[in-house]
Amino acid sequence: MIVAACGDDSAETTTTAAATSTTSGATTTTAAGETTTSAGTTGPQPGGTYRIETDGIAYTSGGDPSGEYLGISFGIFTNLLARTLLTYYHTGGANGNSLAPDLAVDFPEISDDGLTYTFTLKDGIMFGPPLSRPITSKDVEFAFRRMATESVVAQYEFYYDGLIDGMALSADLPDSIAGIETPDDKTIVFHLTKVSPDFVFLVAMPATSPMPEEVAGCFLQAGEYGRYVVSSGPYMYEGSDQLDASSCEALVASGPISGFDPENHSYFVRNPDYDPATDDPAVRANYVDRITIDLNTNVQDIYAKIRAGELEGAVSSGNPPADVLQAYATDPALAPLLKEGGDDRTWYITMNLTVPPFDDVHVRRAANLIMDKAGILQAWGGDISGVVATHIQPPGLSGLGADYDPYATEGHRGDLAAAMEEMKLSKYDTNGDGLCDAPECSGVVMINRTSSNWTASEPVVVNSLAQIGIQVAVQEAENHYTIIQTVANNIPIGMNPGWGKDYPDSSSFVGFLFDGRGIKAEGNYNYSMVGLSAEQAAELGVVFGPTVSVDADIDACKLAALESEQGGLDCWNALDMKMMEEIVPWIPYLWPNILTTIGPAVTSWDFDQFAGTTAFSKLAVDPSLQR
Amino acid sequence: MARYIARRLMWVLLVVILVTFLTFLIFFVIPPVDPAILFAGRAPSERLIEEVRQSLGLDHSFWVQYGLFVKRIFLGDEYGWPGFGLSFVTRSPIRENFLERAFVTMQLAIGAAVVWLILGVLIGLTSALKRGRWQDRASMGFALFGVSAPVFWLGLMALYIFWEKLHWLPGTGYSSFSEGVGQWFLHFLLPWVVLALLFAAFYARMVRGSLLEAFGQDWIRTARAKGLSERKVVYKHALRASLTPVVSLFGADLGTLLGGAIITETVFNLPGLGTYVVRSVQNGDLPVIMDVVVFASLAVAVMSLVADILYAYLDPRVRYS
Repeated sequence: MIVAACGDDSAETTTTAAATSTTSGATTTTAAGETTTSAGTTGPQPGGTYRIETDGIAYTSGGDPSGEYLGISFGIFTNLLARTLLTYYHTGGANGNSLAPDLAVDFPEISDDGLTYTFTLKDGIMFGPPLSRPITSKDVEFAFRRMATESVVAQYEFYYDGLIDGMALSADLPDSIAGIETPDDKTIVFHLTKVSPDFVFLVAMPATSPMPEEVAGCFLQAGEYGRYVVSSGPYMYEGSDQLDASSCEALVASGPISGFDPENHSYFVRNPDYDPATDDPAVRANYVDRITIDLNTNVQDIYAKIRAGELEGAVSSGNPPADVLQAYATDPALAPLLKEGGDDRTWYITMNLTVPPFDDVHVRRAANLIMDKAGILQAWGGDISGVVATHIQPPGLSGLGADYDPYATEGHRGDLAAAMEEMKLSKYDTNGDGLCDAPECSGVVMINRTSSNWTASEPVVVNSLAQIGIQVAVQEAENHYTIIQTVANNIPIGMNPGWGKDYPDSSSFVGFLFDGRGIKAEGNYNYSMVGLSAEQAAELGVVFGPTVSVDADIDACKLAALESEQGGLDCWNALDMKMMEEIVPWIPYLWPNILTTIGPAVTSWDFDQFAGTTAFSKLAVDPSLQR
Repeated sequence: MARYIARRLMWVLLVVILVTFLTFLIFFVIPPVDPAILFAGRAPSERLIEEVRQSLGLDHSFWVQYGLFVKRIFLGDEYGWPGFGLSFVTRSPIRENFLERAFVTMQLAIGAAVVWLILGVLIGLTSALKRGRWQDRASMGFALFGVSAPVFWLGLMALYIFWEKLHWLPGTGYSSFSEGVGQWFLHFLLPWVVLALLFAAFYARMVRGSLLEAFGQDWIRTARAKGLSERKVVYKHALRASLTPVVSLFGADLGTLLGGAIITETVFNLPGLGTYVVRSVQNGDLPVIMDVVVFASLAVAVMSLVADILYAYLDPRVRYS
């Protein structure tokens, strides 16, 4: 069975053996599949150095693939350093969310009951220096054993915990996991405890990339392995060949790898043990000889250097500054060098179903109807920043686009009359005038971020809610997530959250966020408390109201996805609609774009839809145009 | 003098301990974000949070944590002495990174200090000697500009003019001495000058005021009456007396800068302690924050001590008992 998320729009990306085309901006695709740029250079040529600067890459585990849990790391690992059983095409659009065999010869054989997945590994796949040895199924198995080791702090181990038979966190490195078999060096078999069609996506996550026990086994504390990572991909950290892997002691004495310092730089060079014949050029093109990522604390300076041709690109913690965007958007000569990719993410306002006045669905619907989403978009920088979100899941994950809008209003400006009509149905409108006038409607604590997009859009949200009588007391906080993730805080409303997919399947979005079984005291991500049970409420010390559960819907959708891809998609979309119309936990307001600029020497650039960042394996430069 | 220095060193130690205690109290007891949750990912299980808490050593009581911290500072840790500990973010020893960054900051601070001392004293001297003339007005105009212009604006303007438009100087970034003295100097030139301008302006005003005050003193009149040359009167007597407050201030200023020049380092992308601590605060990397705080407080205390000793040399009236 082949499972590819969200369809496969092969029209978006054209691939030849020589070159991978890009989808937007300066780079256009010829009939032959070659790539050209505005600079006039035809076709990306191999060689050269692609220079990137960053204002700070946030590592969650010091570069350890087991513990890294942010898109930028996903992009770096899956493009450059870590091959997985399956991977993505590293391109923009729907095709970028489609899976392709990577270490595996093909997609897995799945048993009739949907519980057993068998992968066969390709021949000729090697670890890079200092090991330079073939990768076996045991190296893949070790990655799972390492994830199950508590001290490694593998941040998304929860996806596999309990799903793979026998996989559970343990204090020490487990000798084996009952549900993973490696009958020979080329075969790995996974036995699941429950039907989980999204398992194919789980084996494309970087934490499942093969890890050599003789190296990764030496580093079982969180983050330690980051500076000793042995590459299985087309590139490796510069200086990897200087490591002495004869023993753990020798490794430490000879390390860390000079080409990676999470506080300073990442330098990638070609992995001499990578055989392009084992890879698909549509997945990784690997044009450049070297990629450098250096820290630059001055964001303005990064974009000035790109414009001046001293750099090829940026890996930024946010979109380019407003003045840079304006310059590129208004100057025809620069416009082709502004690149964008749709982030599979929804920014939203969350409402807590256990806290008045949001324990009344009519209040939540009225809040959706009154919200001036166009005003919020404007505060975020206008159309270039994204499109108004109209439901839970971003279009890249579902068949539902912006056409489905259960709270449609003229120009997304909000509809006071409709909102007041809805509010009249609420118990918090005590006199039926369409305004929330009960005491619970005043001083409603709303959590917000301290950064610009959120503070700029804050007045829009405050004023919108005020129009229907909800008077919020805003609390801006650096630790905004911790506040709303701590259930005991009973935060009624927050405009700070956003959710991006972990992998392109609804089970990592709507099927994950609203699963009542996942509600917990700290680190809770089901901010609306959808599916809270009476037992949970008692245990957590929160009010148990007339909340509703979609746990059964989630389970049903997972089963439906196993039956057929379309069946699963339809089911998740129906759940999205149910959430929006019946449960109404959110006011979704933005599906954002990720924007960046590239230098004049770039001859190939692409967006990685899976990681939401630059497709590092699709970059090419013309050194003669570099300054 | 030796007893004085020993006593002052004890005070330095006490100040450092007090500062570390207060900083530890602020960041560990009432942290803005629970580090365990921060580093456990976006959907952590309670077990994972607990594991992170243990791995970061946050499961101990406050006093045990503080004791371990003080112990590693004074007795060192497995990575050497003094002990800098392990970064929460990179999970790697802080030591190497810290020392490299401290060296960058030191080059920036000392280079800038040389520039501002030379500029400040020269401008202050010129202004005092040419009091009321156009040189005085120009010097004080410079001082006003230097005091008023924000460092980040000066830095951005300097980069725009000398790098982006004129291409006279390289852009941002750090070039080490080993990569070539020329490149090293050119990369530091703008940061030195930009950082020095603010201080130079202050120092120029201070030197001018002190000199003018000295020129009105009886002992200067006496020196002139004795027939000393104007050069000797100005440089040997008046200037020397005027520099005593400058030396005091210089010690404190240089000490403060050694703890990190955040804006200058940020604008010119210099990997020093200033940018290090900013990123660490953003990332909740408490051990790095603590290390920088200890280093910064130590630098201020030690430089103040050095300034006091120099003060005694410059002003024989000062006696330590």
